[in-house]
Amino acid sequence: MEVVVRLEGVSTTYEGERRPAITDINLLVERGELITIIGPNGAGKTTLLETINGLLPSEGLVEVFGLSVREHGRELRRRIGYVPQDFMVEAGTPFLVKDVVAMGRVGRIGPLRPIREGDWEIIWAVMEELGIADLADRPIGKLSGGQQQKVMIARALAKEPELLLLDEPFSSLDARSRMVVCEILDGLREERGVTVLVVTHDLSAIPEGCERIVLLNEGRITADGAPDQVFASEAFLRAYGPVRAVIA
Amino acid sequence: MIALPSTLLLRAIAGGVLAGALCSLVGVFAVRLRMSSIGFCMSHSAFAGAALGVLLALDPLLMAMLAALATAALLGPISEKAKLPANVIAGVMFPMTMALAFIFLMLLPGPVIGLTVLSLLWGSVLTVSPSDVAFLAILLALTTSFIVLFWKELNAVLFDPRLAEADGVNSRAYMNAIIFLLGGVVALSLKLVGGLLVYALVVNSASTALQLSYDMKKIFLLSPFIGMLAFLSGFGLSLWLDLPVGSSIVLTSSIMLATSIALSPKRKRG
Ligand SMILES: Nc1ncnc2c1ncn2[C@@H]1O[C@H](COP(=O)(O)OP(=O)(O)OP(=O)(O)O)[C@@H](O)[C@H]1O
Ligand SMILES: [Mg+2]
Repeated sequence: MEVVVRLEGVSTTYEGERRPAITDINLLVERGELITIIGPNGAGKTTLLETINGLLPSEGLVEVFGLSVREHGRELRRRIGYVPQDFMVEAGTPFLVKDVVAMGRVGRIGPLRPIREGDWEIIWAVMEELGIADLADRPIGKLSGGQQQKVMIARALAKEPELLLLDEPFSSLDARSRMVVCEILDGLREERGVTVLVVTHDLSAIPEGCERIVLLNEGRITADGAPDQVFASEAFLRAYGPVRAVIA
Repeated sequence: MIALPSTLLLRAIAGGVLAGALCSLVGVFAVRLRMSSIGFCMSHSAFAGAALGVLLALDPLLMAMLAALATAALLGPISEKAKLPANVIAGVMFPMTMALAFIFLMLLPGPVIGLTVLSLLWGSVLTVSPSDVAFLAILLALTTSFIVLFWKELNAVLFDPRLAEADGVNSRAYMNAIIFLLGGVVALSLKLVGGLLVYALVVNSASTALQLSYDMKKIFLLSPFIGMLAFLSGFGLSLWLDLPVGSSIVLTSSIMLATSIALSPKRKRG
């Protein structure tokens, strides 16, 4: 199988901090996989995603599509869709929804070529799929939290990414919208072999089709495997305490 | 009302309109990216540079340009070394450049401070030379092409530099280009509006445009016209009441900003 993400002995320390936020991470992700990364607040989930995306300086081997993110970070990010956690803008922000979604394609298109008709077709199709096409001409700051979250997901999808990094993408979405997003993700994996990493601290937000869960706790991967296996593990109990029932 | 020779008047108007358009174009970047203290710092170091130029009998415009660009070049690396935001470093450097400027002015020989120096402080349309106008026109052409050619990248950086970086855009390179542009524009406009007030033209017109629309493209189209209008009305006011040009422009552009805030669609239910 084709390896999309390869981490070996990776540690990331924020500037000015002494302790690394994630420590000695080893992770192999294959093409088309959907992996949910869970862990309590402060476990290092966001740090892990940003390390994979080459946005944070780290130690160890970090490769995406067989290329080191240290040397090829920007070029790789043109193929990686990223939805940051809790991204919200001020009410007066002077950008329209459709323009924000279109920005997702900017890196992929590259400099000196404008956004063309064909690009807009893709941008509109993504907005339709997420049900935000009727918001296209609204200022983004006037949208609700959940609507803004959909815009950020649309922005990542407009890139036609080969790898998707989603940081708590469901936190403001209602149940129906979560299902819509999950269906889109399933479609992308099946049709285009897109690889998806979803981060969530909320165990009820684990996507349905998920076959592999990675548990982070205090900056380390403490469990990695099929959902049942992870939920039954000692490490899971340590990280989340005795929660039952939440996992339906 | 003072009578100016018509060639001087035309030259002043051409220079002012160009400077107004330029300042307010780059002003949109400066305001949106919160580079205000960087801009203030550069306008004051340009002023210090011009003062030094007068002291050393070198071309004040060239010296102003060099000082502004040197500041632009220094801010990034210093803020990285000091691990402080460039805004903070700029805030510290700004009084320092002012202090230097006053020292240079004090060191000028003779009791009479010449017209050049006064014009550096308050701005003067009398000292605008044909080459100043040509430089302003060239810089406006460069700025416009930069914005048009890299519109989609600049748009992404203006929305959120970090997010643009995550989409594979070299945000830092664009931010640096913007800082340099800002330095050049400030230094070139210095003569007209004066070192103490030039930055108000940058901030006021762009802030006015930002009040009036939610669409970045419209804001960029609107802002230079507001800048030109600010110059023309301020210039008219200064001729009429015999006030310093820079002060008049700042007054009219401030009134325009206040009006736009009062009328802004952003404050109404939309
Ligand atoms: N910019 C930063 N500078 C210093 N330390 C940071 C920074 N961002 C995060 N940390 C620290 O790194 C650790 C991991 O943070 P991270 O944001 O990755 O957690 P997370 O698992 O995403 O948490 P959450 O569920 O709250 O989103 C935390 O201890 C946090 O305090
Ligand atoms: Mg997080």
